[in-house]
Amino acid sequence: MPPLKPAKSRRPASIWSAVSLIVSLFAVALTSGCGDNFSDLEVLPTESYMKKPSDFLGNTYTIRAQIDSQVKWEKGVGRILAVSPESGGARLPVFVPDAVGGNLHIGQRYEMRARIEAGGLIYVESLRKY
Amino acid sequence: MLKVYASISLGLVLGQITSHAQGYAPAAAPARPVPAAAGMSAPVGGMFESNTFLEMASRAFDPSSDSMDFENGSFAWKGRTFNLTSQRAFRARFERFLLASPTEEEESYALLMNDVLQRLSVASDRSDDAIIETWEMLFRAARFDPDGGNSTIVANQVFNAWRIRKEMRGTALTQRELADMRRHQQTVVANRALILEKIKEQKERETVSKTSGKGGNGKKADSGALATEGAFRALELAETEAKLIAMEGQAALTGIQAKLQMQSQIVAFLVQRRYQHALLLSGFYQLLFKGSQQQLEVGKGELKSFFPNTDMVFTVDMMAFVANEAITDVNKGVDAVNTAYAEDRAIIALERLQETFFLGEYMPELNAIPVEQRRMLLDLYRDMMEAVELAEAKDYNGVAQYAERIALIAKDFPEMRVLSSVETAKSMSDMAVFAASQYRNLGDIDKARAELQQAIDIWPSNPSIREFQQETTKLATAGSQGVQIFDDLYKRGDHRGIYDRRMDLGFALAEDTERQPLLMEVIEQVSTIDLLVAQSAEALKQGDPYVAWELLAEAAKFDPDDAPMNRARAELAPRVADFVVYLDRAQRQAAEAQHAGSLAGFLAAQDIYPASRMCREGIERQSSALMAHLSTQAEAVEE
Repeated sequence: MPPLKPAKSRRPASIWSAVSLIVSLFAVALTSGCGDNFSDLEVLPTESYMKKPSDFLGNTYTIRAQIDSQVKWEKGVGRILAVSPESGGARLPVFVPDAVGGNLHIGQRYEMRARIEAGGLIYVESLRKY
Repeated sequence: MLKVYASISLGLVLGQITSHAQGYAPAAAPARPVPAAAGMSAPVGGMFESNTFLEMASRAFDPSSDSMDFENGSFAWKGRTFNLTSQRAFRARFERFLLASPTEEEESYALLMNDVLQRLSVASDRSDDAIIETWEMLFRAARFDPDGGNSTIVANQVFNAWRIRKEMRGTALTQRELADMRRHQQTVVANRALILEKIKEQKERETVSKTSGKGGNGKKADSGALATEGAFRALELAETEAKLIAMEGQAALTGIQAKLQMQSQIVAFLVQRRYQHALLLSGFYQLLFKGSQQQLEVGKGELKSFFPNTDMVFTVDMMAFVANEAITDVNKGVDAVNTAYAEDRAIIALERLQETFFLGEYMPELNAIPVEQRRMLLDLYRDMMEAVELAEAKDYNGVAQYAERIALIAKDFPEMRVLSSVETAKSMSDMAVFAASQYRNLGDIDKARAELQQAIDIWPSNPSIREFQQETTKLATAGSQGVQIFDDLYKRGDHRGIYDRRMDLGFALAEDTERQPLLMEVIEQVSTIDLLVAQSAEALKQGDPYVAWELLAEAAKFDPDDAPMNRARAELAPRVADFVVYLDRAQRQAAEAQHAGSLAGFLAAQDIYPASRMCREGIERQSSALMAHLSTQAEAVEE
């Protein structure tokens, strides 16, 4: 029995539509930041963190803050910044690894995705201006 | 060491007791080096008081006027120099005068003396009767006590002159008789010589005729008898001549003697400041002796010392002039005293009164000074003399008390100058005691001794000296127990306790090479704490509590258990609570190696007090530690 011709002719249309769907979904994902999803995270409760940082170890939070000063920098490691949270309260020290940070300037506002590491360190995994 | 301290204390105590007992301090301190390490020092070279205080006290308290020189015993008045008695004798007479009150008898005496002097003046009746009546008044004057019997001396001198004059009249009569006799005897002697000459010629002629054969024995006997009588008459003439010359000499001598006696007495009265009697005797002298006899021939030595700078010829008139001038000056002096007193210038009044009193001590005019004024000036005089003695004894507290007392009486007394000098002297002595304490604490015994001696020299009764000695004694006693006390306190970590006993312990451990450095370290540490606590208090006064807290936190690093520091922190904590909370949290986490948490704490604290040095240092420290930790982690991942 000979292969069905009509079936061969239908395949490209479905493939193209599927591909276009995937592409559009990927584009939507890219534009909506699906890889760095900040909006789903909780905002770091700074007051509680200040009282006892060890209670927050291992958690990931989002922090919206303005860079106040650069406290320390080491090539190949990263920089420690003092930032002023948008929610108010005292300044916080955050660590931005070299791989994450680009050109960071004092006064710039960033939304950061941060994880609380050992010793209460606020480790910024990603960030974006807002 | 203990022996040395004991020797300082005992030796100086004995020295001071001796000084007080004798009423004076040693005249000169031993030579000593200039203190440097002690920081404070008494005046270099010593004898501050001899150059400043005593001179000032002498000027301020000496009531004597410049014209009175008790050291040389002289009183200068208008180029004339009186012999001044000792100060003690003068003081006794002066005080007696100030205590005395004028009496009616003195007033009567003054009137009588003025009357007598008036009668002796050239313008008055100078008849013999008037003079005798005046002379008799002298005996009335002599009955008054203030006269002192000097009028009798005048009367006797005058009477003596009169008697000599009478005797001279009798002598003149005898002289005339002897002159007549001498003339007769001269005639007789001359006749006898003539006859003898004639006989001699006749004898020569007879000798010529005898050689020619004629005799002549009878004439020879007559010639011998005449020669004998002639010699006898010549002898009588010589005797008469001698008697006459002796009588003339005696008369001259008697007249001179009377004159000289009166002149001597006039000079004596003047030198003794009995001006009225000098005037009386001068008046009688001028009546008794003629104008050519006025030059003084006696008392030149006394007058030379009385008028030291003159070559003039001294006369009785000159003595009378000086006496009158002195009387005038006494009157002016009394007026000056009364005026100065009325104008509240008691010091000037006292000075002028002393001059006037010495010049006119026997003058009734001094009675013009009221009794109440005399009493007040007596109080002032005695207070000033007492103050001088206190100043010489270096009793500065006493001097200050008397200065205040005198200032109440005498408005023109330089009280502030005196008090200022007293304070200066006391400060100098205190500084020397302080320097001695410093040297003692440093263990420099020789310098400590020299400084203490200096303090005693300046102010023997300085209470600080006794305190120093008591302290030294206490140190010597505590020395033996010091080692045990130090060990106990150091073991307990009671640095404040060690610091509080640093004097005792410093002495006790002066030669302990093991403990002495520990002691010094503790003293330095607690001193630093005290300094920081004091600075903190000052910052708090200036409204800067966070600076105050940081200073206390700095102090706590030296000794966190120090009680005064912790007390200050407890008082300050409520005012800086928020800052302290973050700071404490940061420090606690730093201690647990929680660098990130600690860093967060420091940043929060710095938000409250941005100028905080502790925060700045903490941030630097913790960020470095954190970065080092991260760096290590990164290296581990790479490997």
